[in-house]
Amino acid sequence: MENVATHEDWKVCFSELAPGLVLFARQWVRRPADAEDVVQEAFVRFWRRNLSIKNRALLYAAVRSAALDLIRRDNRRARREVEVFGEAERTVQPQFEQLDDSQRQLVAALDHLPRDQREVLVMKIWNELTFAEIAEALGISQNTAASRYRYGLAALKKTYQPQ
Amino acid sequence: MNDPSELEGELKKLRPVQPSAELMSRVGSTLANSEKGSAKIIRPQSRPSGSDFRINWLGLGLGLAAAATFLIFARVDFHPNDKTKPTIASATPSLQQKAAALPNYQATGLTQVVYSKRDEGLVFPRGAEGPSRRVRTAKRETLQWRDRQSGAQLAVSYPTEEVTLIPVSGQ
Repeated sequence: MENVATHEDWKVCFSELAPGLVLFARQWVRRPADAEDVVQEAFVRFWRRNLSIKNRALLYAAVRSAALDLIRRDNRRARREVEVFGEAERTVQPQFEQLDDSQRQLVAALDHLPRDQREVLVMKIWNELTFAEIAEALGISQNTAASRYRYGLAALKKTYQPQ
Repeated sequence: MNDPSELEGELKKLRPVQPSAELMSRVGSTLANSEKGSAKIIRPQSRPSGSDFRINWLGLGLGLAAAATFLIFARVDFHPNDKTKPTIASATPSLQQKAAALPNYQATGLTQVVYSKRDEGLVFPRGAEGPSRRVRTAKRETLQWRDRQSGAQLAVSYPTEEVTLIPVSGQ
């Protein structure tokens, strides 16, 4: 991911970042199609402003903001998303590729984390953001970001028993 | 798995699902359009069922505004039956005219019903030598007339309020 910062071609940047961005967006909108809409809107908004791709915190903040906008635009759907947060969508629409039993258990444990811990884990593990970037994107302190990450891992350890 | 780094390693083995190939082309089209000055976000033609319905807030707002304007100017009467019911308020003016035109009507009664009496405590009226106690009384008065010839009766009822100042002597 390090070389992303030097690329000016949006295709290269986007193809490297898109899987993590869509996964990040799916923390709010569970439908893959909605998550892709959110990522498209945020990325286009980000790119149009000619912001440096080095400033990844702004890009993730834009994704988060676009996801929340989508939820606000459609309260009915938002209620439905919150009410059935995960159950059907979690199983029907996988967020990760080709899982074995142990990984499925790990994903299930991840899904049951509180959202604030899960989003930090997603940003850190699959998007490789630093705690400083996570803090900037979420509008929290670095210490809070780090502690959410630690709490998230600790909670995962409790529920996940590898076979 | 006591070491957190082991768990991190397990998590990193999970590969996020790749976005659809269509997404890249959509972003490309949108960025290309933006260079031409268009800000439209291109969305896929076919969407999962249930996601096609979106409220057009602008249209809804304009519709509501038009309906409100129509109601204001059209003065729609939601209680048309009220006009057909005889009420004392609407009968009172014509009653006076009729009473003047019909000298045979004779006052037959006056009824005062007190339904509320409240002592509001001590007050100090201007110009008074001492304090007074103010008592507020709410009443309903009913006046009745009767036609000597036909025996027809008229009644007028109205609410009244009376405020009484009762001087208090300090002993």
